[in-house]
Amino acid sequence: MTVATTQGGGSGGTSGLYDVLELILDRGLVIDAFVRVSLVGIEILKIDIRVVVASVDTYLRFAEACNRLDLETGNKKPSGLTDIVGDSLESGARGKTKGALSGAAETISDAFKQARQEGQTSSRRRTSSRKEEQE
Amino acid sequence: MSTYVYGIADADHTGLPEGMEGVGSPATTVRVVTGAGLAAVVGDAPEGLRPKRRDLLAHQNVLAEAGAAGTVLPMRFGSVAEDDAAVVAALEEHAEHYKERLSALQDRVEYNVKAQHDEEGVLRTVMADHDDLRELAARNRAAGGGSHEDKLRLGEAVARCVQQRESEDAEVVRAALAPHADAVNPGPESSGWIANLSFLVDRKTSEQLLQAVEELRQQLPHVVLTVNGPLPPYSFVEQTPSASSAAS
Repeated sequence: MTVATTQGGGSGGTSGLYDVLELILDRGLVIDAFVRVSLVGIEILKIDIRVVVASVDTYLRFAEACNRLDLETGNKKPSGLTDIVGDSLESGARGKTKGALSGAAETISDAFKQARQEGQTSSRRRTSSRKEEQE
Repeated sequence: MSTYVYGIADADHTGLPEGMEGVGSPATTVRVVTGAGLAAVVGDAPEGLRPKRRDLLAHQNVLAEAGAAGTVLPMRFGSVAEDDAAVVAALEEHAEHYKERLSALQDRVEYNVKAQHDEEGVLRTVMADHDDLRELAARNRAAGGGSHEDKLRLGEAVARCVQQRESEDAEVVRAALAPHADAVNPGPESSGWIANLSFLVDRKTSEQLLQAVEELRQQLPHVVLTVNGPLPPYSFVEQTPSASSAAS
């Protein structure tokens, strides 16, 4: 589904905010004569995903996942495998968490939550609203 | 009282959201300050303003509202001038530059596209593409899962291929979408994405970009694409007006 999130406010704007946070905080016009409010606690945005990918935990998880994948696809030849890939991705692409990616995403959510100093919305809820948006 | 600045527009912009609720709790009211043929969308700066969710949203919503009715140069969140007079002074000092940017960005909006790998999808793709990985996996399975070292070896090899695939797919996404935009700007570094790209497009032809995104989704089912827009052109305002006005 192509649903471009329009930033017109309301609940749609809230879930979209997470995805454009770095633009609002890091892009846009800066005028030297003006001061900027403190953004302490927001720097954590710059964590690199590769730190998360290149870890023993990830290796083990990938190994496990690949084992499962092969079990599902049985002894099919590589060409057959590709067909199955196409089918199962229909649902797979809309799957739940993004695995390695979600770890970092939650780190951001946590940082964001800290920065807000207000517990109106939990990071979990924000993550799920993003999922809904993609479905 | 210091002044919070949301953005800058032409003085003849007729749809500026005066009276709208802005940043702060309780919300401050959006005002317009004019000078040198320009209009700044401003409000009173709340005491102790911090990048809280509600304030970020307010900043974004005010700009979205102003941007829907005409071109506006969005300020980065949290810009505060000493007072309204300081805003007018800034408008006057760099008036030519702002007018040039407003004219360059007329009818242009930003679309931000983020690409993520669906983990299971990319693992399948990588396994399908690499005989050696399938062999490693088969050997592990035959050995009842394999030793800790075997698993690490497989996992590391898979991770390497996944990373390579990340850069390849990022390039495919960029190459497919760039032809539909006037300009492309990589988003600020942030985690969780294999690609984070901002596209500057004509408001009237943005459908072409969205169509290209849809085609990419078909072409790369293991890539999850998130589109946000139309946005004010955050990534396409020049950030050093002083450098530009020094050159002119």
